[in-house]
Amino acid sequence: MNILILIFGKLISSISKLLNLGNGSTWPGHIALKINKNFIKQTIGSKTKIILVAGTNGKTTTSALVSHILIQSGFSVAQNKSGANLLNGAASAIIQGTKLFSAKINNDYLILEVDENNLPLIINQANATYVIALDLFRDQLDRYGEIDSIIKKWKNAFEKLSKNTTLILNADDPQVSYLGKNLRSKVLYFGLNENDQGRIEHGADSIFCPKCQHLLDYKSITFSHLGNWFCSNCGEKRPDLNVSRFDVYPIPGTYNKYNILAAILLATDQRLSEKLIAQALKSFKPAFGRQEEFEVDGKKVKIFLSKNPTSFNESLSTISDLKAKNILIALNDRIPDGLDVSWIWDTNTSLLKNIPNITVSGDRAYDMALRIKYSELENFRIFEDLSDAIKKSLEQTKFGETLFILPTYSAMLETRKILGGRKIL
Amino acid sequence: MTQNHKSLIIGWIYPKLMNVYGDRGNIITLRKRCQWRDIEVEIKYLDAPLLEEDLEKCDLLMMGGAQDEQQKIVSRDLKKKNKALKSAIDKGIPGLYVCGAYQFLGNYYKEADGTEIPGLGIFDLHTINPGRERLIGNLAVQTDFVGNLIGFENHGGRTYLGKNIKPLGTVSSGFGNNGEDKTEGAVYKNSIGTYFHGPILPKNPELADYLIKISLKVKYKEDFELEKLDDSVADSARKVIAKRLSIAI
Repeated sequence: MNILILIFGKLISSISKLLNLGNGSTWPGHIALKINKNFIKQTIGSKTKIILVAGTNGKTTTSALVSHILIQSGFSVAQNKSGANLLNGAASAIIQGTKLFSAKINNDYLILEVDENNLPLIINQANATYVIALDLFRDQLDRYGEIDSIIKKWKNAFEKLSKNTTLILNADDPQVSYLGKNLRSKVLYFGLNENDQGRIEHGADSIFCPKCQHLLDYKSITFSHLGNWFCSNCGEKRPDLNVSRFDVYPIPGTYNKYNILAAILLATDQRLSEKLIAQALKSFKPAFGRQEEFEVDGKKVKIFLSKNPTSFNESLSTISDLKAKNILIALNDRIPDGLDVSWIWDTNTSLLKNIPNITVSGDRAYDMALRIKYSELENFRIFEDLSDAIKKSLEQTKFGETLFILPTYSAMLETRKILGGRKIL
Repeated sequence: MTQNHKSLIIGWIYPKLMNVYGDRGNIITLRKRCQWRDIEVEIKYLDAPLLEEDLEKCDLLMMGGAQDEQQKIVSRDLKKKNKALKSAIDKGIPGLYVCGAYQFLGNYYKEADGTEIPGLGIFDLHTINPGRERLIGNLAVQTDFVGNLIGFENHGGRTYLGKNIKPLGTVSSGFGNNGEDKTEGAVYKNSIGTYFHGPILPKNPELADYLIKISLKVKYKEDFELEKLDDSVADSARKVIAKRLSIAI
């Protein structure tokens, strides 16, 4: 039965690619699960190690990093496509990764980036070797609900994990790291010892002790609520770190250091040597829309997907470190972006003040403009149409300079189309 | 009388615990709109434990929504200081209470499993969470004192007003208090309760100015006219949503 679904799925996927009907990355899996709801459970070979990657920010980059290191080390890897992170995306990854006429996927590794709400469902379906939990920030409250409700779901799911699963947790995120308590599974922690001058920013989410709810103190803060936390009331503190630094960081941004450390922790646990990992990282290219580079008429364009307050603030602080002169912010409120744009008021737009060329665009361009206006910045332009906005921003960008585009998810897809006429992966 | 050399103290109640839906935007808007008119502003960040003497120094109060766990901390703290907030509101100190804060001020909140959590009993209303779908989406409301309000709502509780309180306005599109009776929010003395996120004030400058005006009036005991500001960006942002909801504003 599953062989037929797999062949049929491969066929649908080829046809939809051929006819350019979307990206073919969720349809085949959707149909497979309709026919057999245990499809995922039954089609993963016993030798295939499953890696699940979850968290608000960094799923796609971390999956790409893990995949790149493993492939460079000679392993065969299947993975779901960026954004296809529900059950149907996982099933599609299996369909695409399985050899023709084979009943099961037999790659060495199957890497699945998983949506916050779907992590418990996938944990029930797939016997994971690794679960990486990166972070939890406020994101699309209209869709995911509040962080507390996700933490509860994850806690229940992690309690069911067997001792054969290794959890890789961000120790710097108080609530996420606290999930590692009292489990059968092995738990490994990554974290950073940086920025001991940091302060809690507005809108930091999990600044209360996961054990006693008292307001937390920090020895150092990297950004938002991430850092070396401790509770002065009950004594709970950040767990000891298994990794906190590495020599090679192929992509800029503190947030990417976390993604890189998570990937390194997994690779080291798989007994890959530091030398091999460092070598692999040197040839890493960013995942699509995540600091992806384009060149248009001799000018560089870099896309920084910015989909919630934390990713927006981190994009802004990374590009201000890069001395950005030109920026385009594209705010949409379609389903993949979240319908609620109130999060822009939790962003730190004062970081824009040294950027001379600021443009805003997207379905909610005027909301973004209003946010910027209330940061005491007068010097910005508004173009509702994204093509116009890109064209006009590029005109103002001098040769040799870079235009940084900060789009929400659907605006990112649109931007890529406009810039390259390229297909979505 | 001009507003020169005037000053306001704005109290943000529980900024660390209750800030989940961009409610900081309300504080930013009030502060800037005062500063643009040379009204001096001081923001007081009133975290738990909430102190009576701090509350009494404020000319205008703002309190937002929170997540469940934080809401429990607030609930414990507020019960102790019930009298402080009640007397401030009863004295007529103007305030804006959004979502979770709005529900807190009512008589009780009934959870999906039937548990009744007593509220502060300041606003004559109660909230029931039927455990069904949350009320989420763009919201437009007509008021008789600040025109049309435009924003976003996201709440599980349904609020029902008692006899002794007036609604903030009538829903033209969206759910409002409960999705049934077309009412949204509540007005009691100079305090406004509402489900509007978005946040409410940046895109509804008329309401922001109303709050500033009554705060000045209460403090200085005279009427004030506020200087007009350029609100064209806010107007455009409002029109985008009004057009989508097919309503005239």
